[in-house]
Amino acid sequence: MATLSGKNIVKKYGKDTVLKNVDIDIETGKIYGLIGRNGAGKTTLLSILTAQNPATEGTVTLDGQPVWENEEALSHICYSREIPQLTLFGPNTLKVKQYLNIAKAFYKNWDQEYADELTKLFNINIKKRINKLSKGMLSAVTIIVAMASKADITILDEPVAGLDVVAREQFYKLVIDEYAATGRTFIISTHIIEEAANLFEKVIMIDDGQLVLEENTEHLLSRAYRVSGEAEAVNSAVDGFKVYNPESLGNHKAVTVLSNEPGAKFGENVQVEPVQLQNLFYAMCVDGRKEA
Amino acid sequence: MLDNLGEDKSIYIQISEMIEDEILRDILKEEDRVPSTTELAKFYKINPATAAKGINLLVDKDIIYKKRGIGMFVQKGAKETIRKARRDSFYNSYVKSIISEAKLIGISKEDLKKMIDKDNV
Repeated sequence: MATLSGKNIVKKYGKDTVLKNVDIDIETGKIYGLIGRNGAGKTTLLSILTAQNPATEGTVTLDGQPVWENEEALSHICYSREIPQLTLFGPNTLKVKQYLNIAKAFYKNWDQEYADELTKLFNINIKKRINKLSKGMLSAVTIIVAMASKADITILDEPVAGLDVVAREQFYKLVIDEYAATGRTFIISTHIIEEAANLFEKVIMIDDGQLVLEENTEHLLSRAYRVSGEAEAVNSAVDGFKVYNPESLGNHKAVTVLSNEPGAKFGENVQVEPVQLQNLFYAMCVDGRKEA
Repeated sequence: MLDNLGEDKSIYIQISEMIEDEILRDILKEEDRVPSTTELAKFYKINPATAAKGINLLVDKDIIYKKRGIGMFVQKGAKETIRKARRDSFYNSYVKSIISEAKLIGISKEDLKKMIDKDNV
């Protein structure tokens, strides 16, 4: 099994440290979800993992080989990122067809038939210029490039941004189909967590430049709980647990708890409910986190 | 099959319970082919590994079995296997919560019994 591995990655822009000692191992043959708030460092991390951006410190390796300026290693990786509509030289007037041809030349396993099929599916006019595309259509083009690249490790940075609900559903199904057929690795960053959560075998959460967790999604959710009830009862029930996002309504209190192991017990005096990934993410990232 | 997955159980358990429900309701009969993990994954937009976990749970319970290269099929006697297992957990999954709700709102044991008798099960 191949592993794309980042060790101790630090990225600084001037005085700003946008990634702080991130250690991450991407195993092949899985669908990963990457979640984090705006500015958390998701895109920076992805661009460093794919050698499009140098790290200030740390190394990125694929199967033990550094990926920086390593053509062989990089030929297994596709990072389909947002297409700029404005370049240094003015509006990006490239036609979609030309853009796809560049991608075709770049990815050695490019599947033209598949690209054509997806162009039809997303209803993209390939004669249109990039700067005339809507946000949704731009997203669709980055999806087409990612899927048709047939790269072993395919990274999509907010692929569903701007897509309507029909296109989003089509995208999720595409990924499942392609993953079932080929076992390609996908890393998908998204803000629409609720829709895609069940797609992710593993979830990577980053906050403020730090890796908060990297874990099997189901395992993570099996140790997350929303505990609520009379304030005093809740306080004593969650004593000793890691507690996030406490909320009160009169004498009623609710907290999100992440225990170390599944199967935590909180007693009969409080109500315990499971937590969805999006709510857990919110609870962990919202300001004012507290220890119980 | 349900169109949407609920939120209070692990997805793979929901998948296995949904297939069990279909067997109980004779929508899936003995020797019928069970949807593949890819079909389930696409239908519910879940990771194929999760769907496979739900399917494997049913294989372990001897409710479905694998025909090499063809797919998964409903085992002979699957319905009775499920009915027996569900009867065993009926008290914990249903009766307990009825009793606790009855207590909370002041329905006596006798009243509860009368309600059940009235329903002529």
